[in-house]
Amino acid sequence: MSTPEAFDVTVVGGGSAGVAAALAAARQGARTLLIERQQLLGGMGTNAMVHTFCGLFHPDVSRGPQWLNPGIPSEIGMALMQRSGIHKADLMGRVYVLRHRPADLAQLTAELCAEERHLTVLTATEVTALAPGWTITLGDRTIHSRAVIDTTGEALLARLLGDTHWDLAASARLYRPAYVWSFHGLKDELDEPLRLRTAALIVRAVKAGALPAAALGTTLRASPAKGEVFVSTDLEAGGDRWDPTDSDQRLHLESEGRALAHAVWDFLHSSHPSFGSITPPSLPVHAGVRESARWLGDYVLTADDLIRSRRFDDEAALAGWPLEMRETARGPKFRYFDQPEPAGIPSSCLRSSSLPGMFFAGRCLSCDHEALASVRVMGTCLATGQAAGQMATAFRP
Amino acid sequence: MPADITADSVLSLILEHQIIESAEPVTASTDLFALGMDSMAMMQLLLHIEDRFGIAITPGDMTRDHFATASAMAQLLAEKRT
Repeated sequence: MSTPEAFDVTVVGGGSAGVAAALAAARQGARTLLIERQQLLGGMGTNAMVHTFCGLFHPDVSRGPQWLNPGIPSEIGMALMQRSGIHKADLMGRVYVLRHRPADLAQLTAELCAEERHLTVLTATEVTALAPGWTITLGDRTIHSRAVIDTTGEALLARLLGDTHWDLAASARLYRPAYVWSFHGLKDELDEPLRLRTAALIVRAVKAGALPAAALGTTLRASPAKGEVFVSTDLEAGGDRWDPTDSDQRLHLESEGRALAHAVWDFLHSSHPSFGSITPPSLPVHAGVRESARWLGDYVLTADDLIRSRRFDDEAALAGWPLEMRETARGPKFRYFDQPEPAGIPSSCLRSSSLPGMFFAGRCLSCDHEALASVRVMGTCLATGQAAGQMATAFRP
Repeated sequence: MPADITADSVLSLILEHQIIESAEPVTASTDLFALGMDSMAMMQLLLHIEDRFGIAITPGDMTRDHFATASAMAQLLAEKRT
């Protein structure tokens, strides 16, 4: 297949933000290219087996689950509910979340992209160089694009341009990555009593030396599919030396996660009757990195903006998820907004006037470390991605 | 010597080890689940409770009712110590 080498909009990174950006641009008629380094679209929600969509709903839960951002976020949310047979979002503490199956998201995102005649998708493809104007190098191939959107989650394009347009929190503060895997064949329902008993069993096994201490960061969650369970473990990942852009550290993280998955599986399978017939672990393509480099745009969204539900004139999307801070692997710390009202994300967080035609969304939009604890979640990424897709389509040099 | 079991001593253990961090005041009767306590936080809490009070919590003790507030936890621990 020959691919046209000139596009109106090129989106780099096919996760929640990138898929939404590409769909938004292509639906407005822009000749759009979506580039993804893995084989599956869907990003963390497929490749890292993240199985809950956060940030899709209005923070005022007293009104029941209300879609927060119109357009692609609610479209994808509703389509996932239909595919997984879920009729209502789950109330977890003070927020609504939508459980999904990563395989459903992989199939849905592929189908939605395939329906767009203006959209070309390149998977298993890496961007290796970038020059303003914009010229994008994919190994031995060159693409020209009027506008570019970075939805890589790690500000890859900013880093390719040098040292000036991005920021990265200190290693010790970076939100810890999660390693998520799954098994099938649980006979009993994974209700709260079983989840809590299992947590206590894991603590005892760690104290007895039967499981590594890293197992203490483990949470079990029921899939929408009967008998399927997702197991998620936050990992310290090098502690105060953690660098999510370092390939050696990433390799080590993967091997630690994999070994832990097998150890926890072996322990559950052999020590608790409910888990006696579960299948061996199904592993993710890679661990779920929660924080990496962020773009520095015209405005840097702050935690204070979110907590006070600040609104902006140039609003691109709404945030409703609390600040979910995971600077350690010992469990999240939530900081809820002062009022159950959404906060605005201005379009100035998705662009930089020093780089005309460059836009960014999702986990690498322009915000500080604390604000990222809220806006990094997949539902919010869909919303900022959609906005960036529309902004990029409207861009004229 | 294991520490005395009171609702306040359980609450200070929870706050000291940052099991829950909240912008709102946390008291012995605050619902910790409503503040975001999850099974992962409960695992940390279990380790610290066993260290400080010298009481082993069994998987069967690990219920929402026993862990919802610092007072409920203190009651469970007091029952287990006697």
